[in-house]
Amino acid sequence: MPQIIDKASLGHLAKLARLKLTAKENQIFLKDLQKILNYFNQLQAISTDEIEPMTGGTVQKNILREDEVNIERKPHSVNDVGRIVEAFPETDKGYLKVPKVL
Amino acid sequence: MHLHELTIRKFHHGLVNKEFTALEMVEQLYQHIERRDQEIGAYLSFDKEAAYLQAEKTDLAVAGDQKVSDLAGVPLAIKDNILVAGEPATAASKILENYRAVYDATVVKKLRQAGAVFLGKTNLDEFAMGSSTENSAFKLTRNPHNPKLVPGGSSGGSAAAVAAHLAVAALGSDTGGSIRQPADFCQVVGLKPTYGAVSRYGLIAMASSLDQIGPITKTVEDAALLFKTISGYDLHDSTSVETVYGDELLDPKLEQVRKLVIGLPKEYLGQGIDKLISQRISEVVKKLKTLKIKFKEVSLPHTKYAVACYYIILPAEVSANLARYEGVRYGSRSTFNDLRELYFRNRSLGLGPEVKRRIILGTFVLSSGYYDAYYNKAQRVRRLIKEDFDNVFKSVDLLLTPVSPTPPFRFGERLADPLKMYLSDVLTIPANLTGLPALTVPPGFQLIGKPWREADILAVGQYYERLGR
Repeated sequence: MPQIIDKASLGHLAKLARLKLTAKENQIFLKDLQKILNYFNQLQAISTDEIEPMTGGTVQKNILREDEVNIERKPHSVNDVGRIVEAFPETDKGYLKVPKVL
Repeated sequence: MHLHELTIRKFHHGLVNKEFTALEMVEQLYQHIERRDQEIGAYLSFDKEAAYLQAEKTDLAVAGDQKVSDLAGVPLAIKDNILVAGEPATAASKILENYRAVYDATVVKKLRQAGAVFLGKTNLDEFAMGSSTENSAFKLTRNPHNPKLVPGGSSGGSAAAVAAHLAVAALGSDTGGSIRQPADFCQVVGLKPTYGAVSRYGLIAMASSLDQIGPITKTVEDAALLFKTISGYDLHDSTSVETVYGDELLDPKLEQVRKLVIGLPKEYLGQGIDKLISQRISEVVKKLKTLKIKFKEVSLPHTKYAVACYYIILPAEVSANLARYEGVRYGSRSTFNDLRELYFRNRSLGLGPEVKRRIILGTFVLSSGYYDAYYNKAQRVRRLIKEDFDNVFKSVDLLLTPVSPTPPFRFGERLADPLKMYLSDVLTIPANLTGLPALTVPPGFQLIGKPWREADILAVGQYYERLGR
């Protein structure tokens, strides 16, 4: 049976997911994923043409509100914001430092 | 009072009758943890000072003859993917090893307001991905009933803590059985509420269309008490729903219980179920029949597709939710030349094998060319599974099933075969895919209810409990 996933496509997926896999991980994951994807094939036996996809949730309704500042909705106090900034790996005078993007 | 006898109900009774103080019990529990947790490994961290302070607050209120809530002073264990302000929240992952929560999860906030005491944070499979707690980046948790066996997972630390009397009760999270299966393996009670009944604000997200927080307790009555306290609409979780759970949760009436019809789904009791497990189910049914409850055999024909459906949808959501662990927001800024290198280094070193496996699987099922065949297909099958339940709930009020197809397994037994590990969730997954509430009760049965009808499953569970084990 032709495999759905091979060494090259696994390498591509890992790159997309920003994961560098070791040689051993590559070997194990390839075997695991082939086995798991073959198991998934059983779903192809069911006819689902007329079935709407279900995304989840018990009650499906949009939560809408006016686009305006609403202090009440703010989950955190100013002190919390300070603590969140402190928890960030690198900060400077209360600003969050991130690596150069461009 | 001996720690082994402590339930939330008995704790409250002893506290208000001044048989003991909350501080005394918290001190006793920490002493017991000191002795016993070396072997069990239920906890990852403690904040004793905060626990003593919270206990003293309750004791002052009791000494002043103020009315205190059922949960005041009750020592709880919290799964380490739920935020408690100021305490570590590692999700048992190296990538969050040094992270401390800056705010309380809504469930923690509600428990804090009720006066509960948080003893510490409990072990889990990394980011709640696993069925044995073996995927923790930090330690193994052993089954308190037999140290050679796994405690189940992913809330293995919480279930083991309650079973070994290292806490009076605990919180866990359940995405595919992560409260119910470890509760079953450790012979305690677990409740996964209806999707939307409990706020997930402050829960480290794994799969957002499936995750729910719920209680792990020694009795069904305690599960009802904890659930009543943590449930309700929350502005900060738009999937939470305003529902009113009345007195029927805590004070079920036998005449109401007798009106319920329990369905026995044949797909949950046949092939692949260990003999010991099905024998137990027959005994439970026999016992419940003495209460004059009616049973009916029913069929959920799409059950066999649930594992495949779930292990497509779950990794898809995992691959999106875990994109935030890239080394910019969390983790260490190890030396790097550019942003790309930072991403690769932090993720590759910080995430464990099962997490990586699921991220890659999720990336695959969402990728161009495969999206329709896998993700979209699984979502359609998810609806078929839901329709099975809608159909049976026209003729029965709740369902009774086993929890796990096998008794607890040994360490290492399934670790090398992820598919085998995934298949151990076959009986718990459907309640997550459909959002239905489900309760597990020793010696090993699960009650699945209609949406928002926790009252039905808790009522049957409480009456079963009163019959004596």
